[in-house]
Amino acid sequence: MIEDDFYRASSQYRLWSYTETSLRSIRNATNQIASDRVRAALRRAREQHLSSTTSAAVESQSEGATEEKNIECLTPDEELVLVRYYCEKTVELGETYRPPLPTNVRATAIQYLRRFYLTNSPMTYHPKSIMACALFVATKTDNHYMSLRQFAEGIPGDTTPEDVITPEFLLMQGLRFTFDVRHPFRGLEGGVMELSAIAQGQGAAAPHLPHHTSDSLKRGILSLAPPPVACASIHDRIGRAHSATRELLKSAAQMTDAYFLYTPSQIWLAALLVADRPLAEFYLDTKLGGPLDSTNVGADASSHLQNPLYELRTKLSKVLMDCAALLQSYTPLSSDPAQMKSLKRIAKKLYHCQNPEKVNLKRDVAAPRLNPAVDSATPMSESETERLVKKRKTESQQIQQEGHSVFGPELVPDRTKH
Amino acid sequence: MALSPFGSRSPAVTVASPNSALRLKAAAAAPQNASASTSTIIRSDPNPERELAEQLNDDIRRKYVKGKKLGEGTYAIVYLGNYRDDPSSLVAIKKIKVNAEYKDGLTMDAIREVKYLQELSHRNIIALHDVFSSKDQNLNLVLEFLPGGDLEMLIKDGDIHYGAADIKAWMGMLARGVWFCHENFVLHRDIKPNNLLIGADGEVKLADFGLARSFADPYLNMTHQVITRWYRPPELLFGARQYSGAVDVWSMGMVFAELLLRVPLLAGMSDLDQITKICEAFGTPTEENWPGVTQLPNYVTDKVVPLQGRDFFLRQFPTAGPVGADLLMSMCVLDPRKRATALQVLQHRWWTTEPRPTNNEDLPRKSGTKKMGDDLARVGGETDEGLFKNAARQLDFGGKK
Repeated sequence: MIEDDFYRASSQYRLWSYTETSLRSIRNATNQIASDRVRAALRRAREQHLSSTTSAAVESQSEGATEEKNIECLTPDEELVLVRYYCEKTVELGETYRPPLPTNVRATAIQYLRRFYLTNSPMTYHPKSIMACALFVATKTDNHYMSLRQFAEGIPGDTTPEDVITPEFLLMQGLRFTFDVRHPFRGLEGGVMELSAIAQGQGAAAPHLPHHTSDSLKRGILSLAPPPVACASIHDRIGRAHSATRELLKSAAQMTDAYFLYTPSQIWLAALLVADRPLAEFYLDTKLGGPLDSTNVGADASSHLQNPLYELRTKLSKVLMDCAALLQSYTPLSSDPAQMKSLKRIAKKLYHCQNPEKVNLKRDVAAPRLNPAVDSATPMSESETERLVKKRKTESQQIQQEGHSVFGPELVPDRTKH
Repeated sequence: MALSPFGSRSPAVTVASPNSALRLKAAAAAPQNASASTSTIIRSDPNPERELAEQLNDDIRRKYVKGKKLGEGTYAIVYLGNYRDDPSSLVAIKKIKVNAEYKDGLTMDAIREVKYLQELSHRNIIALHDVFSSKDQNLNLVLEFLPGGDLEMLIKDGDIHYGAADIKAWMGMLARGVWFCHENFVLHRDIKPNNLLIGADGEVKLADFGLARSFADPYLNMTHQVITRWYRPPELLFGARQYSGAVDVWSMGMVFAELLLRVPLLAGMSDLDQITKICEAFGTPTEENWPGVTQLPNYVTDKVVPLQGRDFFLRQFPTAGPVGADLLMSMCVLDPRKRATALQVLQHRWWTTEPRPTNNEDLPRKSGTKKMGDDLARVGGETDEGLFKNAARQLDFGGKK
């Protein structure tokens, strides 16, 4: 059994690996279902209203039909931007704890959110209400246990333990009850250890490349093309590449579709390529040889004929370049005014197309045991609808007063406009 | 929110395939036709009230039929079940009960069990076929049906006779399962005879992953309050917070000894008594035979018993034969760094020494459907006697630096 077989047995590979096209179709399907249900739910809410105000029924019927057409739902791309924003917020929330939650836990929570929103829409379940739960579940699954009470106390604002835990089951169902997330962090640490060993003259030749020696490897790493930023020594260079790669893994790798499209080792190697390309190419050469293998170059013009792994290496390079391009395409929303502007527009749009039957998670999705008296299938009553409108107004006023919270500035300052 | 009333128009809903997972796959497979295939998904939805995630769950739930109850514990009820489309194909359905005392959502035992069984697919590890939720938001684990009871049952039953070849077969299956866990960076942390279930074909399967966890990164702490006391290695009894697969290998050694003796080798009455019994049996851990041991938080010494040599194992375990005694000795080394790894256990000469391990179909067996129910209904660290109910329950869940 080789390592690839182990990875192929993982739930990350079996259930959460996609091609770009399959990823797009799933998101489209989810968006389509949610949009139809939002329209149906809003229609039911109106019918409810209608039945209580029968006198106005006939004349407003045509008006209603026009209104329905006007409900503009989020597009799959817009949903994705919104989810990404809350993934960035997850990092910030993890930072507020003392000590801050470990990188692994935060990264797991982000992947939980991204996986959850493959088959659920933000129009149905607002990411704001799922995010804290995802982080709490990650503390449980990633061995960083703290009590729910302690966790809820760490969230700025007045989030109760119940707010955090209510969507847990819903979240787990969306995760299809797979909790293991394979991260690229450990692989990077291993690669850096190997590079350091090579720099110290303690590198070992790969099985397919017996012509390498500790000395030839050390000479190789010392004669590399210069790094993007000048470094005092090779150890300095490895150190810088290490931290630059780690930063990419903590940010770009989390916020893009990297985990859905690539394996953990592809992700960290691609991030290393972005951080220090000659060093990353050298590392690959020590494993697979290749067109850039300095010990081969010059010996024969067609050096690839000497490397049985040439084809594999070429194929891998292509995959890594694609993944590197994906990582480089990422800019944090919060540091980009144009993206923030579009985010605000999306949030405002969401306000109008949020499924009214799923807004109150405690009532609508909590386990019967938490809420035995309420039948979740009962459509929302008129008074409930009005209560909701009022609640939203109050909330938006509250948030405006509170100013900057951990969930970021209010996205739609004048929610009550219409 | 505008609330202008309007007349109802029924949506054009037609029912097609009830299997949303298939439709999802179809949608994924036909990207150029995405809009058409997604509309198929919606139109064919038999229950427009359900989200895609809920539909996927329903599809899984409908695959199985729940039958009679096999066993019930504090935290779970185990049912016999079968595939809806193949009634002869049996499964065990473990329904995790809601723990009213635990307010923090799904319990750690359940999370660990689900997390690791989802990843580990091996002949000697109980298979988790599916997980689904039922209407009342209970978690249901669809597990491989293992009607052969467990190793504890065979050890305790005086009417069952078994020999070295049978033990070799059972131990071989156990060692392969443990090796696979470790190869996947998972520590089981509760290996003992009643967690080793037996399939209809005689195959031994490692079960109960309620205390399992993945290897910690170097220098990160783990809890030492794991593994049922009689099977707990000295480093955990001394309170080590950083440990390795060697803890499971010790437990395996204890199971090996118990199979040979037909009684637990070291049945300590308390953690302290367990340490005493280990010292009496194998010798006292000292700086000499285990560098660094005196620095462990709960290290205690009474009188120093000299380290036992090979002749002790030969004398104590004659049924294993000299090579078998060697293997057992390598699993019972006090210093975890010198103890055999699961891989080294598998590479030992004993497996290829006479007698050959018994073929599965010739292994002694007894029917244990009820036993499986009880075993699965239990949670990590709990025993039938309730003797250690609290030992492994008092987890502090590690990780705190």
